[in-house]
Amino acid sequence: MKDKSEVLQGTLDMLILKVVALGPIHGYGIAQRMRQISKEVLQVQQGSLYPALHRLEKRGWLESSWQESESGRPAKFYKLSAEGRKQLAQEQLSWERVAGAIALILRTAE
Amino acid sequence: MRWLRRRKQREAREFERELQFHIEELRQRNLAAGMSAKEARRQAILEFGGPEQMTEQLREVHQIPILETVTANLKFGLRLLRRAPAFSMAIVLTLTLGIGANSAVFSAIDAVLLRALPFPHADELVVVRQYNYKEKSPWSFVAPVRLEDWNKSNSTFQAITGYYVENESETSLPVPEKLTHALVAPRFLQVWGVAPAIGRDFLPAEELLGGPDAALISDRLWHKRFNADPNIVGKSLHFGSAIPGHRPAAYTIVGVMSPSFFFPDRDVDLWSPVPTNAPYAQSRESTWYQCIGRLKPGVTVKKALADLSRVQSDLGRQFPKTDANLAVSLSPAKQVMVGESSRSLWILFGAVTLLLLIACTNIAALLLARMSDREQEISVRFSLGASRRAVIGQLLTETFVLALVGSIAGLTLASGAAKLFRTFTPNLPRVQEIALDWRIVGYSLFCALFVTFLCGLLPALRGTRLAGSLAKASRTQVSGRYPAQWVLVGIQIALAVTLLIGAGLLQRSLQELARVTPGFDASRVLTLQISESYGETADMKALTQRSKHILETLRGIPGVEAAANVSTLPGIPGQQQTELRILEGERDPNRKILADSRFVSPGYFDVMKIPILAGDACRDSTSPTVLVNRSFNNAYFGQSPATGHHLSLTPNSQFTMTGEIRGIAADSREQGLNTEPIPTVYWCSSVAFPGTYYMMRTKADPMTLADSVRRTIHEIEPSRSVFDVQPLEQRLTDSFAEDRLRTMLLSLFALTAVSLACLGIYGTLSYFVAIRRREIGLRLALGSLRRQIALRFLTQGLSVCAIGCVCGLLLALTSVRLLSGMLYGISRFDPLTFIAVVALVLVVAAGSTLIPATRAARTDPMHVLREE
Repeated sequence: MKDKSEVLQGTLDMLILKVVALGPIHGYGIAQRMRQISKEVLQVQQGSLYPALHRLEKRGWLESSWQESESGRPAKFYKLSAEGRKQLAQEQLSWERVAGAIALILRTAE
Repeated sequence: MRWLRRRKQREAREFERELQFHIEELRQRNLAAGMSAKEARRQAILEFGGPEQMTEQLREVHQIPILETVTANLKFGLRLLRRAPAFSMAIVLTLTLGIGANSAVFSAIDAVLLRALPFPHADELVVVRQYNYKEKSPWSFVAPVRLEDWNKSNSTFQAITGYYVENESETSLPVPEKLTHALVAPRFLQVWGVAPAIGRDFLPAEELLGGPDAALISDRLWHKRFNADPNIVGKSLHFGSAIPGHRPAAYTIVGVMSPSFFFPDRDVDLWSPVPTNAPYAQSRESTWYQCIGRLKPGVTVKKALADLSRVQSDLGRQFPKTDANLAVSLSPAKQVMVGESSRSLWILFGAVTLLLLIACTNIAALLLARMSDREQEISVRFSLGASRRAVIGQLLTETFVLALVGSIAGLTLASGAAKLFRTFTPNLPRVQEIALDWRIVGYSLFCALFVTFLCGLLPALRGTRLAGSLAKASRTQVSGRYPAQWVLVGIQIALAVTLLIGAGLLQRSLQELARVTPGFDASRVLTLQISESYGETADMKALTQRSKHILETLRGIPGVEAAANVSTLPGIPGQQQTELRILEGERDPNRKILADSRFVSPGYFDVMKIPILAGDACRDSTSPTVLVNRSFNNAYFGQSPATGHHLSLTPNSQFTMTGEIRGIAADSREQGLNTEPIPTVYWCSSVAFPGTYYMMRTKADPMTLADSVRRTIHEIEPSRSVFDVQPLEQRLTDSFAEDRLRTMLLSLFALTAVSLACLGIYGTLSYFVAIRRREIGLRLALGSLRRQIALRFLTQGLSVCAIGCVCGLLLALTSVRLLSGMLYGISRFDPLTFIAVVALVLVVAAGSTLIPATRAARTDPMHVLREE
């Protein structure tokens, strides 16, 4: 069950949860939105986006359904589950704590 | 498996659809940006990456990594087995016994009760019987013409056939040897749905009078008598004397049946057809056949019964004299064959299941105790990020490894079961079908799984809960109260008490049975049969002459005090009661005269030493005479003597027999040692029909006379064989063989259960003493008396036992119902058994608590305190 790239994945997972939290959205939309939000800094590889999406869905943090997209074609839309929402809050909290700590370390080290 | 593949395909389609949507969106965007259609597509795919590769990745996400986990856990389990060999061996051994005994009894249940009879579409086979509904008498044998009428006129059977068995003697050998001969109606093999292993079925011509005389022989006879000669077909088999118009002296062998074909019974050596058109087979009053039919596919027994009842009532109108009062009954063949043995087997199965449960609780307690040793290890796992589920899975796999080893060892134990059952219960129906096969293997694997959850789950759950909290609190102190372990010990005691009470009741019942005075003297009585056939009954005069001559000759043998022949052996259960009529006085239609009717020759009362209370013993006379027993006299004549009255047997049938009551005999347990004497009528007759037993009272051990009896009979009747030679006492013992075996096994299981429960108490208490050493040391250092310490543990152990005993008693009170009908001479709630069992368990339990309790008291406080 263990995956080697857990830290990186964790970050990607959190980003996905965050994007999906804004409303039901399909994979293509998530990729676009991530690029916009991170101001083109973060280029999300589609190669890791879909496995991540499916993993999150399997864990019960995301729910999915087939709906009509803006372009009229059916697409698989993802949506945050109650559990996912909790998970996001938790991850955000710990992320902020770690980020804060790192920032603190960096600042005091100056 | 197929649904799995289908699910996978559906999944793959969905992945593709999802990914294709993404690529399509990219392509649309590129098109909007002004690229050519071809370029837009190329760029989209380039940007996205290969969809096939990604589908593969997605599939990996959805795969369950169960296989890897299981193998890793199994490896770990095996490692553990090596690390704690004594502990593991104890568990494996307990399980070997538990699962082995369970699988052994299950193999018998499977073969005897669950499996279909070894014939194609065996559920279509039904036993067909006729009975006189006016008399409510038991069923009677069927006339050949009526069988043919049934077979012709019904619409629900594929075929109905019949058979009867008699004993013959083969005369081609120096001394005649008994052959069991089944005489069968047409369609015999068709009904069973089997074909001979070698040769062929009977031809229609062989089923007619004057046709060729053909026989099929059993596999056993083929081996024993013909050395498994492959060219057997066409050889002939010689019999005693030919009976003109009835039976040939030699048969041509047309085939050999397969070794697994045991019908009508295991002893049958050959089968031959009865000519349907023979003049002596035309009477509608003859009572010949037991019948069996094969239903058409999909026909229920109920529908077939309605159909055949219609056929019979038509026959009743057509032949009012013989058929008007007859009705038919149908019962599934399996039910008839398995008979009464099912209850014994289920009780045994219940006992071994209880035993397995006790073993499981015992192991659960062991594992619980061990879990506290492993808390450290488990909490490390938690700290390293293992989920609770993963740890529980791993702990369960460890238990499963032990259970698996136990069940494999148990299987080897169970493989001996077939032989055991064949040796100890040769009369168990279908006993030869008991064998170890994949069903039993599957069953014991199921047992292993069941055991894993039953004894592994609780320790795993508790262990992970405790260790989980430990990991958080990082404390190594363990509290000493584990009520769960005591509950397990209590359960063991309760189950053991239940089993022991069951076994105790059966034991007591056998004891009571041994104390019975049967009213006859079975010691020094030799019994045997002499071959005879029904055809010989055509000449009653010669038959009577011969029977008397045989009896005279037997009486002349030195060492024989008295000789007689009887239709039914005394003390052997199985005889039915029949209706009689008293000819004198007014008849009360509401009062039925029922009695056990036995045919005995003069001399019977001398052989059996049954006292004659009034009148004469049996004498040879021209007019039929009868004796009644005291119960009959009291039931139907009250205080006045029955002598001088006349009785008629089967008053509503064609075979009415009337006799004068000439004497009154004392009561004896003719119907079985466990049955109180019932009204009995002895019809005095020396005529020996097939199945008649000859009995002799001897001066010394009866079996010493066996040879000289055999020789003497051979001198006067050279074409007959003497067989089934046994002392009467042996037969009486054998008639309780099943009871005795049941009692023995149940006692064995119960004692094992008690020992396991005691081990459980001992182990659990020792464990508590061990983990509380420090506390004990402290208490002693602070001035506690050693006696107090010992007493504390002793009371703890004993109070659990007491509670267990009470629960066991309650359980026993509700479950002894299962033994009803199996007990003789004691009540189901026999207080002596209940008290003795509780006393025994408490004493043994006290013994096993004493050792750890005294060990606790001997703790050296200085030693313990220095340890810390």
